[in-house]
Amino acid sequence: MKRIIVKRLSLLVLVLFGVTLITFVMSHVIPGDPARMMVGQRASEETLQKVREDLGLDQPVWAQYLLYIRGLLSGDLGTSIRTQQPVISDLAAFFPATLELALYAFIIALLIGIPLGVISAVKQNTILDHIGRVFSIGGVSIPVFWSGIVAIIIFYAQLGWLPASGRLSIGLEINRTITGLYTIDSLLTGNWKIFKDSLWHLILPAITLSYVQLATITRQVRASMLEVLNQEYIRTARANGIEEWYLIIFYGLRNALKPTVTVVGLSFGSLLGGAVVTETIFAWPGMGKYVVDSIAFLDFPSIMGFTLIIAIGYVIINLIVDLLYMVLDPQVRE
Amino acid sequence: MYKKFIFLIFSMFLVLSLVACGNNNSATEKAGEMQLKNDSETLIVAISADMGTLDPGVSMDNLAWKITYPTYERLVEYDGSSTKVIPGLAKEWEVSEDGLTWTFYLEEGHKFADGSEVNADAVKFTFDRISALEKGPSETYGVIEEVKVIDPYTVKFTLKNPFPPFISTLAANYGGIVNPKVMEKEENGDKAQNYLSSHTAGSGPYQLAEWKKGQYIKLTVNPHVTVQPSFKNIYFKLVADVSGARLQLEKGEIDIAEGIPVDQIVELKGKENITIIQEPSLFVDYIYVNSTKGNAALKNPKVRQALSYAVDYSAMTDQVMQGFATQMKGPVPKGLWGHDESLHQYNYDPAKAKSLLQEAGVNNLELTLLYADRFPNWEQEAIIAQANLAEVGVDVKLNKVAYATMREMLDKGEFDLAMGVWSPDFGDPYMFMNYWFDSENHGLAGNRAFYVNSEVDRLIRQAASINDQAEREKLYKEAQKIVVEEAPYIYLYQKDFILPMSSKIKGFVYNPMLEGIYNLAEMSK
Repeated sequence: MKRIIVKRLSLLVLVLFGVTLITFVMSHVIPGDPARMMVGQRASEETLQKVREDLGLDQPVWAQYLLYIRGLLSGDLGTSIRTQQPVISDLAAFFPATLELALYAFIIALLIGIPLGVISAVKQNTILDHIGRVFSIGGVSIPVFWSGIVAIIIFYAQLGWLPASGRLSIGLEINRTITGLYTIDSLLTGNWKIFKDSLWHLILPAITLSYVQLATITRQVRASMLEVLNQEYIRTARANGIEEWYLIIFYGLRNALKPTVTVVGLSFGSLLGGAVVTETIFAWPGMGKYVVDSIAFLDFPSIMGFTLIIAIGYVIINLIVDLLYMVLDPQVRE
Repeated sequence: MYKKFIFLIFSMFLVLSLVACGNNNSATEKAGEMQLKNDSETLIVAISADMGTLDPGVSMDNLAWKITYPTYERLVEYDGSSTKVIPGLAKEWEVSEDGLTWTFYLEEGHKFADGSEVNADAVKFTFDRISALEKGPSETYGVIEEVKVIDPYTVKFTLKNPFPPFISTLAANYGGIVNPKVMEKEENGDKAQNYLSSHTAGSGPYQLAEWKKGQYIKLTVNPHVTVQPSFKNIYFKLVADVSGARLQLEKGEIDIAEGIPVDQIVELKGKENITIIQEPSLFVDYIYVNSTKGNAALKNPKVRQALSYAVDYSAMTDQVMQGFATQMKGPVPKGLWGHDESLHQYNYDPAKAKSLLQEAGVNNLELTLLYADRFPNWEQEAIIAQANLAEVGVDVKLNKVAYATMREMLDKGEFDLAMGVWSPDFGDPYMFMNYWFDSENHGLAGNRAFYVNSEVDRLIRQAASINDQAEREKLYKEAQKIVVEEAPYIYLYQKDFILPMSSKIKGFVYNPMLEGIYNLAEMSK
């Protein structure tokens, strides 16, 4: 197990190198000039040239890339062209919000998606199954910008139950940042008011964001469960008089989870990278909005930083998925 | 099983709402210390995008000016809703006969937020800093040869050449006087650029108190201000989704909602608690007709005129803009001095367009129309223009690209037609005439039609070199006659400035030169 972790982590370096190379080249071959964005549309050629030199944009692309990699090795992600702040501090400000939202969405998707998939499979072709399937087809086909707005109209505008935007009510302040996840920090510092307020703000965006993944997970679990439940060993177990719920969970679900784990792992990755729309609708101060603004400004350093973080996230998730496989399937452990 | 599941969800909601009630109770107990109430001393404005740098010596982004304008003061200020300037930090000024020397006499008693006084040294520091930074604003002040401190309250600017709009440029955002003490925050010779990108150091009525990236920006009152403003706390809250902003405005959670598109404004009209500000702006929407670098047929003024006659202007103003716009009459918009109401205005006349094309001997003309997703109305306008031009036998290919790419192509002249917008930085027809038509400003610099006319060059350059306003106006009007006749641009419309706000807000004055900027110190509710 240790060997595999070490091997995977060393692969990480290679993957990240590839990611930086591709992102860098792609962001530099598309036409557009961040220096021009910075000095305004009416600036003269001299001013423009001066700013290009300041940003190092006058050098050939390979030289810029080497400079970037050199900075990266010493932990420097560069300075954002748009905000004029170090990219690392910008990302540090925005990443925890995205992570918190993705985590809660993920938990909701798992808690609802897996049971729903199991129910659908066990009660195959009953009304329960149909409802579950319609619900999950909705998840994969209803766009987030629509379901998000509808959720806001119902729960914020009509019922007034939940806030529509942000992580905390304006004026509320989190006094100590430990993890950057408000719900966890407030629990650690025992600040109940902040905890409730942040949880309150999380409900709508997290449910909206989770719906797509929830649906995918439900469909996956249902399909694998159906396959597993038709296996002979299940029939044997049932014939041996094992209780139905025990059978479903420990004989059926355990085996059905193996293909599900891959889907679940990837879904967490896409929650991280794909929260952009949800973040926009709910004014959630995460990386999504930040990177969209950065792309509009051709702010290479921020775009690169964002891509790197997401790439690292994916690699780590894949590693976890593989480790989970070992836990679930003794054959892989060898 | 399914019933159980529904029950579970239901009980979860129940528990959560109980928690919420508990939350409310405890919130009222500790209300004083933390919870924000949208009370009469607080103003909350929903903005749709976060800002970049707040350094007045760097920023060319008028989103950031919302923050910098009320946090700095300038030598002169715009007068209420007019584009004329009145004394600001300078109580009076004089210009030498040759237009090269401008002397400003400062009013005593203006203080920066740290208590130090605004004096001639600070003025000199500000303009020397801008020139040393060599960023966008240095462009506007490139005309300054030297800034000299005569005594603590007198400062003298020497210009390289006479530049009559100079006084207007001083009222623009980058004319904000910066506290020289920021140099204590300098890092690696950056002249405090890093510090000022997220802090303010001015003498305006407000100061930046807190900037929660991606969430809100909070302004509080400058402790040394002489007249106490009504609002003590101002929040610019980031609500990127406009529907969300609109709902929050309707519920009174916020006071002003920016960026609401016209189709939603229509919905807001007639709501009791909401006032909609609607005023003509100097923001214009027009089409560049590439007169020298595009399709060779466009070199012929007759063809360009034909295009100007082929476009259905009322479809643009009434359908796309839903009546929140006015068709332009010549390049200088209504509301700015130099506008000529007697100019020829092109109307929708396909027959005339056809006969002009025939006269020019042009058949089967194929043109590209460049635009980007930067403004949602561009696409609708491009499609209307395409249909209009098809009627007169011109085949238009739409070319939609990323905004940054579009700018690159505009700069190089790689297009036949392109959608464009423009708004002036200072209140002078110079902003339109000299930028749009001077043959030395080809490309992004302003003359995006790559238009060349030596007579126009002569007129507008002369107008930019003399101080007599009446004479300048005459020259600009003469030049406008030519450029309307030669039609290097299709002058579409002036957009109306529309801003929905809570009916409780009083004292807001719209100045066409300060779009999106609030006179916070005079506002109340």
